[in-house]
Amino acid sequence: MKKSNLFSSCKVLVTFFLIAFTLAPILLSSHPWPNEGRDYLFENASNETGASNSVSAIYLGYRAMDTLGETLVLLVSITGTMTILVGLVKKEKSDSPNTFLLTRDKRKSNQLRTHLLEVVSGKLGPIVLLFGFYVMLYGHISPGGGFQGGVILASGIVFLALGNQSEKETKLNNPIVLARIEGFSFLALILASTSGMLMGKGFFGNPLSHISANFIILLNIIIGLKVGTSIASMCIAMMGRSHDD
Amino acid sequence: MNLILLVLILALSIFVIASKDLLHSVIALSGISMLSALLFVLLKAPDVAITEAAVGAGISTVIFVWAIRHTRRREKEES
Repeated sequence: MKKSNLFSSCKVLVTFFLIAFTLAPILLSSHPWPNEGRDYLFENASNETGASNSVSAIYLGYRAMDTLGETLVLLVSITGTMTILVGLVKKEKSDSPNTFLLTRDKRKSNQLRTHLLEVVSGKLGPIVLLFGFYVMLYGHISPGGGFQGGVILASGIVFLALGNQSEKETKLNNPIVLARIEGFSFLALILASTSGMLMGKGFFGNPLSHISANFIILLNIIIGLKVGTSIASMCIAMMGRSHDD
Repeated sequence: MNLILLVLILALSIFVIASKDLLHSVIALSGISMLSALLFVLLKAPDVAITEAAVGAGISTVIFVWAIRHTRRREKEES
């Protein structure tokens, strides 16, 4: 008992030492914060990319390649998760892999899903979906953007799936439909990003910059759909798996 | 205000590490996410705050709770 106490206090000490070691250069330095980049963005971001939210201007205008890499990472991780989940379902050879949709007395798992939770989340779902679309569509002028709106969309879809009291399978809680939307939006992202090359604007360049400056809205919609449907399909597939130990 | 939030975050994170029950840890973790979202709003970074609130308090909590409900708890007899 004494030995374990000593060991845990040692761990705490080492943790604090590491934190101090990491933060010391930031706290002790007298170097002023660099603000050239900030000033440049403040002056030029709205004119050069068409987005008055300069965070959107960075991640879909100046650094759009990084966003492409990020969505690729998300795609790969969702693919891995779904592969593992499908393998688990096959091993258990259950005849109905999606017990998520059954009513309360028929399913063995998810006993904590009471009527209260179902009613509240079913009524809250559409509002959350609307807010997600708002954050996604207005990402270029107000805080938010494709990724944030997509995650809110995903939680709205999960709410709707939790609050589904009939046993019917709708399009919004079918993981296959969601995964199909995800794949098509990734294809659309690649097509949209290469379309600038045909007009001589470079990769991720705006192909119609002489007509409209807001190429970023299109990219926000595509990224939002992709992120939202991928996270929602993963959550629904995880919660719908039958698991009786 | 910032200092209060930071102290609360530090206290909650110590609780997350020290707590024996994993479910308590996960709920405290989502509390940390909410507090840091508030901190980001106060520091005028609303984009980061939206992301933190949606991912940290929403999706990751759901996934953690799902994972904990499907694992068994086992303790050593003597410490």
